[in-house]
Amino acid sequence: MEDFVCPRCRTSKFQNPSMKMMVNVCGHGLCESCVDLLFLKGSGSCPECRIPLRRNNFRVQLFEDAGVEKEVDIRKRVLRDFNKKEEDFTSLQDYNDYLEEVETIIYNLTNDIDVLNTNKRIDQYKRDNKEQILKSKGKLGREEYELEELLELEKQREEERKKVIKIEEVEIKKKKIREKEALIDELMFSNADAKNIVDTFAQQAQQAKEEESKKVPQKVSQFSTGIQFGRQNQSTFLPVPTDDGPLYKYIPPEFPTDGPRPPNEIDVIEKNFLNHVRSETEQERAGGFKSNIACLRALQDAMMGLFHSKKSVVL
Amino acid sequence: MENKLKKYEKIEFLGEGQFATVYKARDVDTDNIVAVKKIKLGSRQEAQDGINRTALREIKLLQELHHDNIIGLLDVFGHMSNVSLVFDFMDTDLEVIIKDNSIILTTANIKSYILQTLQGLEYLHLNWVLHRDLKPNNLLVNSNGVLKVGDFGLAKLYGSPNRVNTHQVVTRWYRAPELLYGAKQYSTCIDMWAVGCILAELLLRLPIFPGESDLDQLTKIFGVFGNPTEETWPGLKSLSDYIEFKPFTPIPLKNIFTAAGDDLLDLIEALLVMNPIKRKNCTACLQMPFFSNKPAPTVGDKLPLPHSLRTMRDLDKPSLKRKLLDTAEGGTLSKRLFF
Repeated sequence: MEDFVCPRCRTSKFQNPSMKMMVNVCGHGLCESCVDLLFLKGSGSCPECRIPLRRNNFRVQLFEDAGVEKEVDIRKRVLRDFNKKEEDFTSLQDYNDYLEEVETIIYNLTNDIDVLNTNKRIDQYKRDNKEQILKSKGKLGREEYELEELLELEKQREEERKKVIKIEEVEIKKKKIREKEALIDELMFSNADAKNIVDTFAQQAQQAKEEESKKVPQKVSQFSTGIQFGRQNQSTFLPVPTDDGPLYKYIPPEFPTDGPRPPNEIDVIEKNFLNHVRSETEQERAGGFKSNIACLRALQDAMMGLFHSKKSVVL
Repeated sequence: MENKLKKYEKIEFLGEGQFATVYKARDVDTDNIVAVKKIKLGSRQEAQDGINRTALREIKLLQELHHDNIIGLLDVFGHMSNVSLVFDFMDTDLEVIIKDNSIILTTANIKSYILQTLQGLEYLHLNWVLHRDLKPNNLLVNSNGVLKVGDFGLAKLYGSPNRVNTHQVVTRWYRAPELLYGAKQYSTCIDMWAVGCILAELLLRLPIFPGESDLDQLTKIFGVFGNPTEETWPGLKSLSDYIEFKPFTPIPLKNIFTAAGDDLLDLIEALLVMNPIKRKNCTACLQMPFFSNKPAPTVGDKLPLPHSLRTMRDLDKPSLKRKLLDTAEGGTLSKRLFF
């Protein structure tokens, strides 16, 4: 698409990156500005093949080969009339012959072979099958029926799932109420220590929770349409060549202190250690020095090596 | 002490700094290649003061620091009144890589370099050490693509409320604005600013703030971010060297780093914040999406190497000419190093 040139004004995608190629039924391209210019009145003729065209039929060219666009257009038009379904034929042979004919017509029109006769053939067919065409328009083919069915099935399943979830929720609520009642009963009628009872109940609840979390929900591995998730065809891609190492992950360094763990930066502030040291002056703070630095260091120094004994010295 | 002297066999001279000369050497026992940093005696005055201060800092701190992204101090030995430090041998540094125009640095490469820098720096900061001299030149890279933070000559412990630090630290181009304003109390934020400058330099392939003087440095910074105010940086005016600058209009970072992705811009923005309190620390930066996002950081040996090294790798098998010379002279070219 990059080296596309408008046949009329010779503008290319390179010169005007915002250029849009448009195409009409004849399959000849024009850039957007030329279309605006030539079809100012709403209709005109193709500058290449002189076929009369209407402006509304211009659309943005999707395929690089304008011929494809033309074929898509023609196919749409032809299939509007040639809309027989497989069910309309008595044998497969007949259906295939019919399809072959449709393809021939489309091919002829796309490649401008015997256009006159082909158009006649289409008109003939239209006249012959007028009723059938109208009937078929409203009728859904077998494929559509199947799709319809699938959608219906899916809806049903969805509803079932919702029901199950609802029941489960009610069940959980009931269970909670029951547990609460049991606890109250126990507290009312038992002679044991109230605190112990509460504790054991809390423990049970905790256990139940843990068990619940152990049940990993089954992973959904396919779409509702039955297509598998993930990239099964990954093997078709070559692995991106990477010679870089593993990504970095921060691991805080640890030091053997041979003593009790000294308070950290947060402790120093929260546990009011700072109240016992001189707070920094304004000048010191402006220089980047804070009293918690000194406090931390003093505490670390004090605790370092407190567990040290002669035995632990390895000589 | 005597056996240690013979332990290292000098291969070649690598470079000379203000305080030391560096040689490439081979450990005779293990056959490992190492870098030997021989500290200069300096003037008579300095020699009388005893062991050099920067060397002392390096020895003191590096002995206890062990991390993949921190240069390893393998050995220290002295001869007469001279001290030599033995380090892991590193093939090159980020400055060489940045300046080598034949190298194309991809996002994955940059991510790998900055990631390793931050990991090393996080370890330092959690151990209460400030590096105070971060610059591409001090981020050493070996041929396996491992980046190690080196040169601990200015490194210091931080976090003491009473100790006053000097603000004359960090190479000017990588110096944080609070240092330029003369802050005497500072923390990890100054290293983070330097990392931000290094990240910017990896992207631009040029220093982002190449100031010619301390004042010019500030104008360069304000030229990008605009002037700080008491609102954006409370306490600013209390800093000892504070002066008012003519107003600058900030430039959006997007216009400077046109090729950088949003996650990368976020990281730069988090590092290059003028108010040190608002600057993110290593731990917070390492958790930013830039590092966990694709592309994954380049694995070590796939990182680019400077041209000179690449050819050297090919020449690793000594050429025929060299071999002939060797046999003619009846020995290897490497000489024993006496420190």
